[in-house]
Amino acid sequence: MRRAAPGALVVGLALLPLAAIEPRVYLTLTIAGLAMGMLIFLVAAGLTLIFGLMDVLNFAHGALFSWGAYAGFTVLVLLNQELGWAEAPSVGLNALLLLAAVAAAAAVGLVLGVVVERVIVRPVYGRHMFQILITLGATIVLEELIRIGWGPNDQVMPVPFTFQGSWDLADVIVLRFPVVAIVLGLAVYAAIALVLRRTRVGLIVRAGVENGEMIQVLGHDIHRYFTGVFAAGSALAGVGGLMWAMFSQSVRPGMGGEQLIFAFIVVIIGGLGSVSGSLLGSLIVGLSYNYVAFLLPKAAIGVTMALMVVILLLRPAGLFGSGK
Amino acid sequence: MAETLLELEDVHAYIGQHHILQGVTLAVRRDAVTVLLGRNGAGKTTTMRTIVGLLHPAHGSIRLEGHPIHGLRPYEIVRRGVGFVPEGQGIFATLTVDENLRVARLGDDAEARARLARVFELFPDLARFRDARAGALSGGQKQMLSIARALVNPNRLLLVDEPSKGLAPIVVEHLVEALRAMKAHATILLVEQNFAMAQALADEFYLIDDGRTVHHGPMAALVADDALKKRYLGV
Amino acid sequence: MTTPVEAARRAERARRWRRPTLWLRLGLLAALVLVPVVPSFQLLDLALKIAVFAALVASYDILIGYTGIVSFGHAMFFGFGAYGVALAVTRGGGPTWSDLGLGLAAAVGASALVSVTIGAFSLRVKAIFFAMITLAFAEFALILAVQLGPLTGGEDGLSPRFPGLLADRRGAYYVILAVVVILFGAMSRFVGSPLGRVLQAIRDNELRAEALGYRTFVYQSVASCFASVVATVLGACYAVWVGYVNPESTLGIHIMLDILLMVIIGGIGTLWGGIIGAAFLLTAQAFLPNLRGLGAALLPGSALALRLTERWPLYFGILFILVVFFFPKGVVGSVRETLSRRR
Repeated sequence: MRRAAPGALVVGLALLPLAAIEPRVYLTLTIAGLAMGMLIFLVAAGLTLIFGLMDVLNFAHGALFSWGAYAGFTVLVLLNQELGWAEAPSVGLNALLLLAAVAAAAAVGLVLGVVVERVIVRPVYGRHMFQILITLGATIVLEELIRIGWGPNDQVMPVPFTFQGSWDLADVIVLRFPVVAIVLGLAVYAAIALVLRRTRVGLIVRAGVENGEMIQVLGHDIHRYFTGVFAAGSALAGVGGLMWAMFSQSVRPGMGGEQLIFAFIVVIIGGLGSVSGSLLGSLIVGLSYNYVAFLLPKAAIGVTMALMVVILLLRPAGLFGSGK
Repeated sequence: MAETLLELEDVHAYIGQHHILQGVTLAVRRDAVTVLLGRNGAGKTTTMRTIVGLLHPAHGSIRLEGHPIHGLRPYEIVRRGVGFVPEGQGIFATLTVDENLRVARLGDDAEARARLARVFELFPDLARFRDARAGALSGGQKQMLSIARALVNPNRLLLVDEPSKGLAPIVVEHLVEALRAMKAHATILLVEQNFAMAQALADEFYLIDDGRTVHHGPMAALVADDALKKRYLGV
Repeated sequence: MTTPVEAARRAERARRWRRPTLWLRLGLLAALVLVPVVPSFQLLDLALKIAVFAALVASYDILIGYTGIVSFGHAMFFGFGAYGVALAVTRGGGPTWSDLGLGLAAAVGASALVSVTIGAFSLRVKAIFFAMITLAFAEFALILAVQLGPLTGGEDGLSPRFPGLLADRRGAYYVILAVVVILFGAMSRFVGSPLGRVLQAIRDNELRAEALGYRTFVYQSVASCFASVVATVLGACYAVWVGYVNPESTLGIHIMLDILLMVIIGGIGTLWGGIIGAAFLLTAQAFLPNLRGLGAALLPGSALALRLTERWPLYFGILFILVVFFFPKGVVGSVRETLSRRR
């Protein structure tokens, strides 16, 4: 019962706007909402695991998001300039290009994540205040490095031809890129769930999230898992950044910071340490934001905040939080 | 001395600013059950936590089979054959019974599987609830699980902290039987407030008061010494 | 018959005039009073901003250093004050004292209400959650200010003008300085009062304080309310001085970051450390942009050098990290620790 309620909430939430919005528009909005939710999920999943396992408040996550976006951006621009892969109307080349960009974003996110964990976070384990400060400092440094490397202005993000535009299915406009985002998000969720539930590493991480001390006295070197989880979370953030850049068709040095607040709200709603909670939270946030933005543009962010408050009043630890 | 499995010498430990352990010295004999007794807050649990590496001694030494283990990380100490059964059981409530045992198992050969089979024999309830969420178990079953976790590896030393805490007397009886069965295979260092249980299991005792070892000897001697019991344990 | 506590307090008070810190503070005050004599607007501006932010940091320190509440919403209350007076004065017809007073009162009331409401959350959720919630609220306030365009002037903000003495640079300077001094006095009394001591007890060990019979939630709410109100008044002062209020400059996250950095440099739990933190940071912010000119002069023609020196926030961030690593107690904190060890 307890676990079914939040799922019912999402479904109910999703169906509610049908009362006020015409079905075709509703479908477009729903897809946009799901896509936005999935992109936030990529960032929130890493964030919630990092907090759940390591008890670290990682404010540098946003900067990793931005770096992933810029890494993918560079790959896309280069391959497009040299080989014209983005403009080519070939599904194969476009898919390859996307794959290359995603790989670059993940790789850069991963490497930076390892560096941040070793250099910035490790010395301040256990001291929340300092973690917050130091990861904020790291964010400033990382974002400034982007400005130095790529310039401080917004730039247009090329999107491979196949993923641009939309499909027209029986008079319903379905944008292509959001569908890609949804598929990617689901794939990532499935992969994470698989690793967590079926592998030994996942088992140890789940146990560690519940009780970090106990997992150590059962013979596991938890610091190795810390680095691993941090790196994986960072890679995800990088991919999330790339996808968001393609979604909004632009890259900005400060883009990470803007999305980070959504990710935090999702982590709060979902419960610290719960990936399923983050998924649900992301969908709630993504859907509600899009529906409300259509009906009352100015109230969108307000409704998101209100949802967070209501959920916290009913479940103070978040939807699937374990009261950590 | 192959006789002594674990040795603590003048161990001091701090929690924050508080000087909890002010000179703990003890020697745990191989294949015997040694019990740490003392009032609440005397430092018994802190001693256990320091042995297993969750706290680093500020002073003094801890040796396992002659090798110093003070200052090592918990996972390094545990992998040398130390099983830790903490106060409050420390089981993972969101994992199943089977997963709890799996996460504790550090090997997967034929011997490990034989050990697991023996554990299920010792605790038939665990076999029955193998795929249930550990959080749904009763207090006694959780304690069994916690002990079982320490038995799935070839551990030579078992640190068991207040296993009877919060359990009904009939469950405690079952616990004593289980621990007695384990006596044959491992050395046990026990912390117990329940004097009857300590008496039933222990061969030797150490009295801890104010973070120091104040007395030790064979258990039989303590049982006979009413004055000592009254002074340090209030029994 | 005096109790030992009373005797100790009396002795402490008698020693006060001989303590160097008091003279240091008086000296600083004297310096600030004399600043307008120097015909440099840049210096005047810097001095006033240091004064206002020093007090703002001190108010934040009450929250984080003395009561132990980690919040990211403090800048929001600062913004409330700024917007409060700006709105009242621009929308209320003409720049009059009564408008100013009304706006300030409304902002203070709003801050008190919001801080207690947010504080109610802290009862139900864990500390880390609470910190994130305050951040979410602060962001929300920012977005609200941007979106309620017709009322708040949206992204462009408001350019209020203030009545009488406040319209003149010197006049505004002295009025604000006086307010800052009064606020510092109030904060100092607050922290040193029995109430302040209870707060420190709560910070050190909440469970124990509760066991001793103190309703911790009430005390924490009072402290939070007080700190927020002080921040609001300071926000109003800031609006009066700068004459321009927009979301980014008064509600933006970088104000919160600046406060955090200043409190870390000065020292958490030191109250007066805010002065050093503010002085250091604001002076650096005022002079570091000149680094660009320096870079261009030393290595003319090098685009990389230009880019490296242009982005002075980079060095900021590095400095931030270094300070957190090596001076976690801040300047004042480290000094106090060294002195107490010598005793």
